[in-house]
Amino acid sequence: MAITILAPAPPPAPAHNRRVSTDDEDDLDIDDLPSGHATHSTNIITPGQTVTDDVQWMRGHGTFAEADSTAIRSTLAGTLQKTNKLLSIVPLRARYTPEIGDLVIGRIVEVQSRRWKVDVAAPLLANLLLSSINLPGGILRKRTSVDELNIRSFFGEGELLVAEVQSLFQDGSASLHTRSLKYGKLRNGYFMAVSGMGGGSGVVRAKRQIFTMQTARGGEVDVLLGVNGYIWIAKHVEEEQETVGINRLEETASAKMYSSQNDEISLETRREISKIAGCIRALVDGGVKVEEERIRWAYDANLELDETEGETEYLGGERGKAIVEIVLGGG
Amino acid sequence: MPLDTSTYSLAHLRVDGRRWNELRRVHGQISTQAAADGSSYFEMGNTKIICTIAGPQEQRRGGNSGQSHDAKVEVEIGIAGFSGVDRKRRGRNDKRIQEMQHAIASAFTHTLFTHLYPHSTITIHLHVLSQDGALLAACINAATLALIDAGIPMSDYTAACTTGSTASYASNDEAADPLLDLNSMEEQELPFLTLGTSGGDDQVSLLIMETRVQATRLEAMVSVGLDGCRQIRSLLDGIVRAHGKKVLEARVT
Amino acid sequence: MPREADPSTNEQAFLLSALRENIRLDGRALDAYRPISLSFGEDYGTADVRIGKTRVRATISADVVTPFVDRKFDGVFTISTELSPMASPAFEVGRQDQTEILLSRILEKTVRRSGALDTESLCIVAGQKCFHIRADIHVMDHDGNLVDASCLALIAALLHFRRPDVEIKGEEVTVFSVREREPVKLAMQHQPFCVTTSCYEEGTILLHDATLLEEQCREGDVLISMNKFGEICQIAKYGGAPMDGLSILTCTNTVLERVKIFDQLVKDRIAEDEKRRDVGGLIAELSAENDR
Repeated sequence: MAITILAPAPPPAPAHNRRVSTDDEDDLDIDDLPSGHATHSTNIITPGQTVTDDVQWMRGHGTFAEADSTAIRSTLAGTLQKTNKLLSIVPLRARYTPEIGDLVIGRIVEVQSRRWKVDVAAPLLANLLLSSINLPGGILRKRTSVDELNIRSFFGEGELLVAEVQSLFQDGSASLHTRSLKYGKLRNGYFMAVSGMGGGSGVVRAKRQIFTMQTARGGEVDVLLGVNGYIWIAKHVEEEQETVGINRLEETASAKMYSSQNDEISLETRREISKIAGCIRALVDGGVKVEEERIRWAYDANLELDETEGETEYLGGERGKAIVEIVLGGG
Repeated sequence: MPLDTSTYSLAHLRVDGRRWNELRRVHGQISTQAAADGSSYFEMGNTKIICTIAGPQEQRRGGNSGQSHDAKVEVEIGIAGFSGVDRKRRGRNDKRIQEMQHAIASAFTHTLFTHLYPHSTITIHLHVLSQDGALLAACINAATLALIDAGIPMSDYTAACTTGSTASYASNDEAADPLLDLNSMEEQELPFLTLGTSGGDDQVSLLIMETRVQATRLEAMVSVGLDGCRQIRSLLDGIVRAHGKKVLEARVT
Repeated sequence: MPREADPSTNEQAFLLSALRENIRLDGRALDAYRPISLSFGEDYGTADVRIGKTRVRATISADVVTPFVDRKFDGVFTISTELSPMASPAFEVGRQDQTEILLSRILEKTVRRSGALDTESLCIVAGQKCFHIRADIHVMDHDGNLVDASCLALIAALLHFRRPDVEIKGEEVTVFSVREREPVKLAMQHQPFCVTTSCYEEGTILLHDATLLEEQCREGDVLISMNKFGEICQIAKYGGAPMDGLSILTCTNTVLERVKIFDQLVKDRIAEDEKRRDVGGLIAELSAENDR
């Protein structure tokens, strides 16, 4: 966002009045607020503000209490969320914090003797142990010292992968696993980053984070929405289903699984990939959270606009706003 | 150019037409830089600062990692060559800047909940675009806004401002008035201090004075400074609330 | 980098719980200093300060240089600090340490910016020649409270120092060596001293003259420099635990008391030293007796 030059404004209103008005909001309508994860109050709470001094509430994330008082005070700027008797503050924007079961997209930053260090946009790098990936030749094969020596043949520095958060360490860093055929190395596509959970915009935790879109001209395109805000958009590659037998499937999959070689991608598909990326970027710029349905709507909206207003490559600016408007209008 | 302070006693108006207890225009924006984890743009009069936050993120290797279980706060201040009246290149090793970096880092180490982010680093980058007094105070206010934007938990706002005294140290003038929020012309001429508070209850977390002044005048300066910090705090709060409202509106519709 | 390890958890807990009962590990009162010794070297301008185990040596030297173009009527005064591995294994040669930067900044603000040394008196010929007074601070042993010790050493050394006398005859300037003519004292306008107050327990316990261990455990510190006239030359509270505005003001009062003691101490020692140097000086000259 560029710096805007503003016309001289009248002097700010006397600070004292403003202070009083915020004090009035201090005792929020906690009792009226519906409990649950999806609902937040629309009131902004700022750091240091007293949320409540009623002892019946428990303090959750984003709050603290001083040693000698029962008042629960906020540590973040955000909205109040009530889960039964637990009060927590959901920040307007924050760095991604991993939770068990999150589907994340990561980038290998370091290869150690038995593990990889993966950047998942969290405060700390995540670990991916050699023992939590699918080794070629079947899931059930024992990890050998040869695998340790060949660790770079699976993942090398700078490579991208999709994985699931398996567990969390004491310090909040994540341990990942790719023990499923839908996880593993990423190729044939385009990477983009938006802010993750908790932000005003970004990727939300949804039922489905991986989906395939049928595009107008470029065939099928896979979209992988990492909860951490990393997004991967790639050409859909059909898996060879005709081979039967579990062991056979494993072997064929694993041969390709760790390849870093991109397939041939047609110009049309590339164009569609970039269009989907443009749609996502337009949504994020418009402050809309990213999820499967909205991306589909946005893509369809763009197709409609292509017909009515002519095709454009750049989906920002006016076109971006138009897309967001249609999506918010209900698809 | 020496500042003509003699006219002050006549009209009780300062060079820029303010009274003794008036702040300059304060303006702030949040989330200005898309690439940063948190960012802000802050103006106090003609002092203009962009602040970006990187982190919390894993400490770069080679640092003394493993030493501490809390997040480390690092500050980097870049003063643009065009920011002042005379174009002067300041090296990174300027001791004055390093002192400011240390002051800001240790002020925020105490208000941020660093224990929530073990082994990580929070880096505050401050870019000074224009300076006209109250540099350190503006840096602190900008960093507060950016840290809020980054969603890093803190016990309260850290707000800062400067106060001065109308008479220079040489004259032992009992009638000297304290002044709030000095501009750079006043800073060059008059004794002043930078005061930072965290929380509304007048807890001084930072106090730096570099000029000689009678001890008896300190009290008035500090009390005016505390009042100024309260004003700054409510202005910061207003900025954060306005930003939050804007974000929520976009989300609800 | 060899950063000093933090003191162990139970050491810290022991120190803090003792402090809560107003007891310090070495039995001092909270605002008491360790024994201070101040001695001067054989040459003018060398002061050696010991506060407990902390030892700092300040050396002043003078030479003749061209003044800065923008300050024609002023002499040059620089302060350089050096923290060598001799003082503590945590210090490294050639790398600027945070402690060193802060130390030199505080000294700079306390002594130079407050105008303790009258730099105009160092001018010989305006715009052409002036004295360059250089102060070197060497920390020889570090057991806490470096700033107070360095400041004391610096002021004492400045008061002790004599610069060569000069004579100007028309265009000609003569700088006399020590043997030719008695060197002259520097013109000091006031003598500021720095006192560090360490705070614990959210600013409720305040100490003076913290040892290294106490410094490592403290939550925050306030460095205040004052002179005996009650003028504050510098205050630096860099973050740390927040304090009441009022307790900072009361701090300045206790600091003033301490500064007066420092001032007297330096004065007494200087007088003693002068007396020692003067043995057989003026008195001997005035006496009418001849050794025969």
